[in-house]
Amino acid sequence: MNASYLRYAGRRLVQAVVVVLLAYVFTFVVISVLPGDPVTNTLRNPENGFTEEEIARIVSYYGLDQPIAVQLWQSLSHFLVGDLGVSLRSNLPVTRLVAEVVPSTLALAASALAVALVLAFAIAYGTQNLPRRYGQGVLRAFPSLFLSVPAFVVGLLLIQVFAFQLGLFSVIEPDSAWATFFAAVALGIPVSAQVAEVLITGLDHESRQEYAAVARSRGLGQARLFAKHLLKPSSLPVVTVVALTVGELLGGALIIETIFGRTGIGSLVQRSVSTQDLPVLQAVVSLAAVVFVVVNLLADLVYPLLDPRVRTEPASASGKAGLGEAPEQPILERQVSVP
Amino acid sequence: MTATTTVVGSRGVATVRGWSAVVPPTVLVSFAVLLVVLLWSLLPGVLASQDPVNGVPADKLLGPSADHWFGTDHLGRDLFSRVVHGTASSVASALVAVTIGVVVGGAIGLVAGSAGGWADIVLARIVDVLLAIPSFLLAVVIVSWLGFETVNAAIATGVSAVAVFARVMRAEVIKTRRAVFVEASVLQGGSRTHVLLRHVLPNASRSLLALAVLQFGLSILVIAGLAFLGYGDPPPASDWGLLVSSGKDYPTAPWLVYAPALVVVATVLSVNRISRWLRRTD
Amino acid sequence: MTTTHAGRWAGRTRRAIQAAVGALATVTLAAACAAGGPASSGGGTGEPHDGGDITFLIDSLGDTWIPNNSSISSFQGHIWGHVADKLVYVDEVGEVSPWIAESWEQDDDATEFTLHLKNGVTFSDGSPLDADAVVKNLDTWAFGAPDAGISPIGLFPKTYDHAEAVDDTTVKVHFDAPTLGFVPTLGYHGSILISPKALALPAEEQADLSNDIGSGPFVVESWKEGDSVVLKKRADYDWGPEAVGHTGPAYLDTITYKLVAESSTRTGAVRSGQADVAYNATPQELDSFKDQGFVVAVPRYLGFVNGYRLNTRVAPFDDALVRQAFQHGIDRDEILSTVYTDDWSPAESLIQSNVPEATDHSDSFAYDPELAASLLDDAGWTEGADGVRTKDGKKLELTLYPNPYLATSKAIDELVAQQLGELGFDVDIQAYDVVTFGERVSDNTSLSNYEVTRSFIDVGTVASILTDAENGEDWFGLGESDPRTNKLRDAVAQATDLDERAKSVDELQEHLLDQAYFAPVTQIVQRIYVQNPELHDVTYNGVAYASYYTAWLED
Repeated sequence: MNASYLRYAGRRLVQAVVVVLLAYVFTFVVISVLPGDPVTNTLRNPENGFTEEEIARIVSYYGLDQPIAVQLWQSLSHFLVGDLGVSLRSNLPVTRLVAEVVPSTLALAASALAVALVLAFAIAYGTQNLPRRYGQGVLRAFPSLFLSVPAFVVGLLLIQVFAFQLGLFSVIEPDSAWATFFAAVALGIPVSAQVAEVLITGLDHESRQEYAAVARSRGLGQARLFAKHLLKPSSLPVVTVVALTVGELLGGALIIETIFGRTGIGSLVQRSVSTQDLPVLQAVVSLAAVVFVVVNLLADLVYPLLDPRVRTEPASASGKAGLGEAPEQPILERQVSVP
Repeated sequence: MTATTTVVGSRGVATVRGWSAVVPPTVLVSFAVLLVVLLWSLLPGVLASQDPVNGVPADKLLGPSADHWFGTDHLGRDLFSRVVHGTASSVASALVAVTIGVVVGGAIGLVAGSAGGWADIVLARIVDVLLAIPSFLLAVVIVSWLGFETVNAAIATGVSAVAVFARVMRAEVIKTRRAVFVEASVLQGGSRTHVLLRHVLPNASRSLLALAVLQFGLSILVIAGLAFLGYGDPPPASDWGLLVSSGKDYPTAPWLVYAPALVVVATVLSVNRISRWLRRTD
Repeated sequence: MTTTHAGRWAGRTRRAIQAAVGALATVTLAAACAAGGPASSGGGTGEPHDGGDITFLIDSLGDTWIPNNSSISSFQGHIWGHVADKLVYVDEVGEVSPWIAESWEQDDDATEFTLHLKNGVTFSDGSPLDADAVVKNLDTWAFGAPDAGISPIGLFPKTYDHAEAVDDTTVKVHFDAPTLGFVPTLGYHGSILISPKALALPAEEQADLSNDIGSGPFVVESWKEGDSVVLKKRADYDWGPEAVGHTGPAYLDTITYKLVAESSTRTGAVRSGQADVAYNATPQELDSFKDQGFVVAVPRYLGFVNGYRLNTRVAPFDDALVRQAFQHGIDRDEILSTVYTDDWSPAESLIQSNVPEATDHSDSFAYDPELAASLLDDAGWTEGADGVRTKDGKKLELTLYPNPYLATSKAIDELVAQQLGELGFDVDIQAYDVVTFGERVSDNTSLSNYEVTRSFIDVGTVASILTDAENGEDWFGLGESDPRTNKLRDAVAQATDLDERAKSVDELQEHLLDQAYFAPVTQIVQRIYVQNPELHDVTYNGVAYASYYTAWLED
């Protein structure tokens, strides 16, 4: 660990903090300009027959009559000391709501990532070691296929077959092991496609290198070559891709949790969006940004340590921290969350 | 740019072939699928003669048959006809999303890449923010801001893709700027705008095209996902995602889900195949 | 002079029983259809016995749990109905009977009521449900605590002045105008009795369901926001409403309300035996459930039928002939056979036929496309080449806004659009989610129509929607312009005698339908239950909520 690495680490850290704060302000502005809020919406329901004066008093209790700038300042200053406020929809502390749903989403995302990695490595292995004529072409098409199937279709299919037909899991207990596994499959499939693409690209590249040819000429079998030499260098970019898919796992959870009836961050967002519950959305978006930024920060910090070939000084023409800061290769494979 | 790029660069490993190279059969099939989709969106009335809006209530929830290739829905409407008539809107909304991504993202990337300095740093942070918010979450927040309609879902999808396009564009611009022939042009006294238009843009647009094609397929999926969650147009609109979404309420008629879903998968798969082929041949 | 409830409410009871035939038929028919299945019907075979746990799958668990803000929620009402009691019980045909209030009296002009409470009732925190507690609840329902973020209960009579505890079990309630609807309102889902200790808590703590203490047959064992609520039976409960035929503790040990957003997942889970009840199934799925032996319950609530209120201020409905053509142009039988099952019935008036005061006016809006076409001809709308009628260069256009609170609304509107299209209307459909609907449709007086789904427990509510007098909702855009409507409104609102009021309500229905201010479609079933056939003796109250207080599970 040298001075240049520390400078690099410091720069990335500052950037991460700035990004999280900007994400917070961005969400606040977007949601605040929405017409209405859950409190006013409920009160204005004509079935209630409230007078304007009654409505004004209740709205003022929630501080929703303040100018946006004041609301933003109050919200931001509370956020900075860890106070996420009170949900406008449920009247419960946001911290409690988020804490209740995080474990379920974490379990789902972790399982989905595991499923994705296993699938991706299996596919990648096949593309290198199956007879070229039979398996390879088909396997190479898998990532494309995985990226083309909407996750909600996969989810509906899995529930129909494994929960209702085979009775393998109960939709009433969405946190059971099997239920989590199948939800993870639906969520993990598009992610596995991205990991597999990077792996296959890397493996193809490595296997054309001179050292691979040398190893082959010395009689090293394809399987041993794969395991001993090709896999490690090809796997390194996976670290970066996985870090980038964190956001996708969270985004995809919106749909998968709804389908599988899981109470997680995704379903919390669903409920909050439909009622414009600003404090909760604010907290979730910020949390997602923090997770994404932290994971990617870790990946960027760990990467140079794993692979000594990586330089840590900015190499771009501008010489400043620009858009190209993060590894650029996987950009084409970098997907918007595929639902 | 970290040196990760120097370790693995997709373009570096891609097999470079000329455009004249034989077009693989799967790509031909993909083009054929897209041709069908194009015809569906241009001439829906010719290719599906049954009324997509007014059904025969007595014929509700019939399974696929010779009369109704994809079966009928809960109001006795021919599902094939609805899929065909929903094509234009599904394709158009994905195009809107891609256009927003390309234009806005491309502009940001172009400015950041060619201006450098503070503009680059500021734009970089904006793009980082957009990247840090999970794009589907971002799309949901934006669509709830704009209102739950398909066109808004398309806009939201486009905005959530801006960051990706911005990054690619900027990287391409910087790469091209440093290329020998561009530096030569600058040395010969070419104006900044001239260099940008003459050299940087055409070079960058190639990888942008491959990304745009890929993004088109993704946008179909994202918009369908938003429709599935209820953020789409009302009936009798028959966008593909809406068809799947309303079909799921009738588990006794599984074709209502799987027929439009298959159309989505076939379209997106073809688009992905073509995008991959473009990347290999550029 | 005072009259006891027994005499005064008897006339109401008679009418109620007549209306009961239709309403009960709905549930029993469904149960009978189920009888062919593996287990027995949903009726009462065998003896009730203790024990058993059931799971109820619901599509939402609403928003906040502050009792005042959530008790009228279509979803949370299920939980409140088990956790809290009410002063009176209103059954599915609108009959009012004693519950926590054993009896009541009213003075001649219906401005002063005296409630006599049952002795020995306690909240589950041990505090007594006495006259003081009832007064605190009445005040909370009427006024809420706006400065603490707690709203009043929407439908509570605005004429409420104050209440006082005369002794431990007697409450006197004062109104500043005749309020004949007061006693039935006490049985409405909003009027739940909550421990005064809980009512004194700040909003954030009331929002925690575990703090909201009621006196009901079940208590909250645990809950998780947006996920589930687990209720446990209260062993010392002994004050159930006599009308349900059981007053002791509940039979079931626990009820778990679990949120499952997908309709097909809810029904699929019941089908595969993973849950006992699925709420809000798609009507078209119901027949297949009956065939497999499941119990399907489609209780109707008391209230307005499903239909369109037409805005007389907005074209094309500013012309009575066009309104009448709209009424006669809707083929209710096609809607019933396409969207619904045999359990649904066509509307006979603008209010549900299980409302005691409802009378049959179906002739005045019967489907008759020829009549509808000639009405449009008379009104000067002539058919163009594209089949759309025009008048003075303007098209006969209108937009329907499916009501997001009724799952079948979109399908109905699509059919209505088809049917009206054949008559030469150009009908557009604009569907919104609940929030957007609230912003753009609910309060919007510039729209030509609004699809109604609305329950009420007392027909007096009808007076408040007719005109804009006294904060009225002015459903038809009449203002004070129609003298006959104004006269009937006053007759209903200021009535002090139920039989007199029933006559006025009959005239009112006839008048509104003849003027085609309202186009009824079908009797509404907003709550659909698909149920495990081994669960018996479920009761449904006046607002169609299922109560499992009397229910028991077969071994």
